[in-house]
Amino acid sequence: MGVNMVIDSWKSQIKRGTLEFCILLMISKRPCYGYEIMNKLDTWPVLSAKESTIYPLLRRLLKDGFLSSSWQETAEGLPPRKYYTITDKGREYLAAMSQEWENLLTAVKGIEEE
Amino acid sequence: MEKVLESYLEKVSKYLKRIPVSERADIVKEIESGMCELQNNGKTSAEIIERLGDPKNLAKAYLGDLLEAGTGFNWNRFLALCAFYSVAGFSGMIIIPSLAIIAPVFIVFGVLTPVMAFVKMADYILGLGIPYMENIQIVFNGIEELNPVMGFAFAAAVGILLYMAGKGAWKLLLMYCKKTSRIKDKLLL
Repeated sequence: MGVNMVIDSWKSQIKRGTLEFCILLMISKRPCYGYEIMNKLDTWPVLSAKESTIYPLLRRLLKDGFLSSSWQETAEGLPPRKYYTITDKGREYLAAMSQEWENLLTAVKGIEEE
Repeated sequence: MEKVLESYLEKVSKYLKRIPVSERADIVKEIESGMCELQNNGKTSAEIIERLGDPKNLAKAYLGDLLEAGTGFNWNRFLALCAFYSVAGFSGMIIIPSLAIIAPVFIVFGVLTPVMAFVKMADYILGLGIPYMENIQIVFNGIEELNPVMGFAFAAAVGILLYMAGKGAWKLLLMYCKKTSRIKDKLLL
């Protein structure tokens, strides 16, 4: 198997866990809607994800009580947007994830510098 | 919204059949909203559909967690269902008919008892001579008939109690049915 193929599968594995972290982080700054989140993620190819990933992920975070949502009318004559807001439980989860993320980075650095 | 996009949304909705209606509508509405954003940014319908991919796969992505829990044959689920139907079926055989009889009968007699005692009291006080009044007898201690005024007071109290019991039975019946169907929904999902 070529490196290109292996790296793709490795990237998608990393992405799976990281997307949740990034999306919560993004929503913790201010309420966002799905399309906006996708656009923002597209800025970084490594995080780029499509509807079939983002929408179900948002729905799961909503069901688990990390996010809350509300439909809001738009000024531009577009249909209403579903805005997501982080909950207290979500902030708690995010704080714990940030901590783990730091731990991971420290660990990788530690091994590199050995 | 263009026809192709509409039919795409219909397909997604069809594949999401296992999700409750209100949630399904919310999911489809969000996808639709996203389609309009893409359109607004100059994407054609064909491009949008290509980006979203096979409607079946998009629906599957939502069902992911559900499928993981529910694929294949699971002994625990099977046993839970068997237990549920045994208990619900057996208890239902006794509880539902009992409550369904108790509720209306108690309510009707709760109203009827004081009304009849009242008629008897009116007959006694005003001396109306209404026929068959001797058949209405309110016996408190099992031996002596109460005087019609006392009888009415007693009948009114009993009537209220009967009416409340009937109402209570009716509420219990509703609660039993609701609870059972909620448990069933949970088991089947």
